[in-house]
Amino acid sequence: MTAPPARPANDRFSGQTPLLQRFLRSQYAGALICLVLISVYLGVTQPIFLSWPNLMNVVKSNSVVFVLALGATYIVISGGIDLSVASTTAASAMIFGLAVQAGLSGPLAILAALAFGLFLGFLNGYLIAYLKISFFVVTLGALSIYQSFALLINDGTSLSVFAYPAFKPITAFFNGNTGLFPNLLLLDVALLLLAGGVLRYTGFGRALYAIGSNIEAARLNGINVKRVTLAVSMVAGGCAALGAVILVGRLTTAPADVDPTLLMTVLAAVLIGGTSFSGGEGGVFGTMIGVLFLGIIQNGLTLSGVSSFWQGMVSGGILIFAVWLGGVRALLRRKRQAG
Amino acid sequence: MTGTGHEILRLTGIGKRFPGVRALDDVSISIRAGEVHALTGENGSGKSTLSRVMAGLHAPDDGQILVDGQPVHFATPADAIARGIVMISQELTLATTLTVAENVFLGRLPKTRLGTVDWPRLNREAATVLNRLGVHVAPTTPVAELSVEMRQEVEIARALSAQARVLILDEATSSLSEAATRRLLDLIAREREAGIAVVMITHRMPEIYAVAQVATVLRDGRHVATVPLPATTEAELVRLMVGREIGDFYGKRQIPRAGTVLEVEDLATLDGALAPASFTVARGEIFGIAGLVGSGKAEVGLALGGAIAAAGRVRVAGRTVVLGEPSRAIAAGIGFVPDDRKASALLLARSVLENFTLAWRGRFSRFGLLDVRRERRAVDRAMTTYRVDTGSPLTAISTLSGGNQQKVILGRTFQRQPDVLVLSEPTRGIDVGAKSEIYRMMQAAAEAGAGVVVISSELPELLGVADTIAVFFEGRLTAVLDRADADEETIAQLAVAGRPHARTTPPVAAGANA
Repeated sequence: MTAPPARPANDRFSGQTPLLQRFLRSQYAGALICLVLISVYLGVTQPIFLSWPNLMNVVKSNSVVFVLALGATYIVISGGIDLSVASTTAASAMIFGLAVQAGLSGPLAILAALAFGLFLGFLNGYLIAYLKISFFVVTLGALSIYQSFALLINDGTSLSVFAYPAFKPITAFFNGNTGLFPNLLLLDVALLLLAGGVLRYTGFGRALYAIGSNIEAARLNGINVKRVTLAVSMVAGGCAALGAVILVGRLTTAPADVDPTLLMTVLAAVLIGGTSFSGGEGGVFGTMIGVLFLGIIQNGLTLSGVSSFWQGMVSGGILIFAVWLGGVRALLRRKRQAG
Repeated sequence: MTGTGHEILRLTGIGKRFPGVRALDDVSISIRAGEVHALTGENGSGKSTLSRVMAGLHAPDDGQILVDGQPVHFATPADAIARGIVMISQELTLATTLTVAENVFLGRLPKTRLGTVDWPRLNREAATVLNRLGVHVAPTTPVAELSVEMRQEVEIARALSAQARVLILDEATSSLSEAATRRLLDLIAREREAGIAVVMITHRMPEIYAVAQVATVLRDGRHVATVPLPATTEAELVRLMVGREIGDFYGKRQIPRAGTVLEVEDLATLDGALAPASFTVARGEIFGIAGLVGSGKAEVGLALGGAIAAAGRVRVAGRTVVLGEPSRAIAAGIGFVPDDRKASALLLARSVLENFTLAWRGRFSRFGLLDVRRERRAVDRAMTTYRVDTGSPLTAISTLSGGNQQKVILGRTFQRQPDVLVLSEPTRGIDVGAKSEIYRMMQAAAEAGAGVVVISSELPELLGVADTIAVFFEGRLTAVLDRADADEETIAQLAVAGRPHARTTPPVAAGANA
């Protein structure tokens, strides 16, 4: 039989499933449960953890990862992977820094950085979609090339933009608050709603899922696969550039070298959030949980006074565990359905 | 092949429950040496589950399994294999980079005294096994170079050489070529003394009648009947499967053909699989395309749907179609449904709703924004129209039966109301009830004024639904027959030899091979 028999279909899907059950069935339930458990544990052992400033600190210090992970989620849903995100971020950060130093106004400098990120995304997308080179090869190559570019453009030296007047409002925004909420939190929430809305309520979002799930079926039903592939690469490039702006805005410096853990953290967040690397599944809400998950663990380790050398081991182990948990649940689900 | 040998395998009172579903309920079956036993029933009848119980993939909740009269318990497929019960599964389990001989003796390669592989002996013994089955392939050929069909035969050779006594062929693997089936049957007949039996899971009537001596019919997880073949008529067997008479199986219609809607002129693929072919289809006409695998009939569908690069001129309702690009074919009014559901039609990871609106989502969006409520209502309506049987459109499509999946795929294309429908193997792997509904969908589309091109490997189906039948042979269109002139023998002859049988009247020659 080509498909598990669905008889009698109504037995299993009659009416509305209870909310809790539906939640437990969702892809990111595993990560969310772990997140809650760890938060409770940290809240009890490290009283400072649940304090508002600390929580907001977690949000702020993970905003770059979050913005990059949104773009990465889109790519992974469409069945690809972008290994060049961290390098694109570094290169765009340098462009941003140079633009500020060249005397451009704040908004123009931000636009320049975004345009550059979109351009790098366009390059990736063009090679993948129109020259039909594997996304893995293209983005692996791009990882090195964009990284090199970031080093070359200012001879390997970081760019400090702290003293430039055009930069003042930018850093004030990214480090500032509106009422109780850091501006970055508001920005993150807005981006989350936008990214989630596009996935759910636009033809582009549906096309991403369709291509990731079955590229041939998408093509045969009239979806312009090349254009969507190009567009999603540009989304990822744009996200990387926005991440670069946030990075520089917070640090007041454009670092020339790429943060070696950034790529791994971004991809881990997407994976933990339940977006399947086989494509066609997942969403940005899960990715948010993934980012928070990794951020909180890192924060908890710091608060507990654990050496930062341990953090790689812990987050790596947790990545494998969380995905295993998701895989086990998917397997159980499939077994149930195979009836 | 009259009279059968002793009983090898008996299952009594088998029950199997899955959460929310009683897959098998008190099912008994007896498999005897030397017989081919068809296990049949609609999708979801439990035939797959029962075969999995036999092969040790599922442990039954109730009942007993007896091998040679001894009660046994299969905890894993390995236990079943140790008793000689082997399932040739849909997912082929050959190591493609190894040779045929290595695969046949995988896990039990003959060794020399030094413990290294005894290659000469391996190849010699593999050749013996393959010859016994009549499989003509050199033992040293890498499996990767073989066709899918050949690989299945290698799998069967492996099973037989490992002393298998009950071979379970599931739906996909049971579609062996006629010659291969014949060889396998001959072998079974010859080795009846050794006590080999075949269980084939299928609901394809021609196949059942071609090879099986006994058929066991399941319905809703229960045993309905075990009947001798070919003594039982096809109508009777279908009635047992669906539990009701399907009187007018293919449906009938009276539509005046109204003007040409599809003009195909010198359509050819660039790789030569399809030589230039020309034909026309009228509104209201169902145009059947017959031919063997590799005859070029599949390429006609792919080329019309824009799925592959092609040359030639195609006009729909007078408008020229740009070839080689699916979106252009759609825009020109061609609705193409490919033959391979899993590989090129289904979004397996997504819901019924998303699969349904994949082809006509544009209707609910303005400036790229989807009106999801309107979409949901439209899908609810379409699911009723096309009789897709599932509780909610948000159900994962992967949980639906093949028939329901196919109704979604056809429905989404029909919903666009294209001028021309090109359907490649629209009823492959689908149970009888769903087939009949799909024929009705095709009739309705033709009545509404579409030209319907149906590419099918099942001749009875083409003779049942098509007004005109074109036959392809070795990449060429060899004949276009009116239904009145067409019978199974004529078409089969054209399909295998490229020319009509000497004694039949020559069919109208087509304007092919220009």
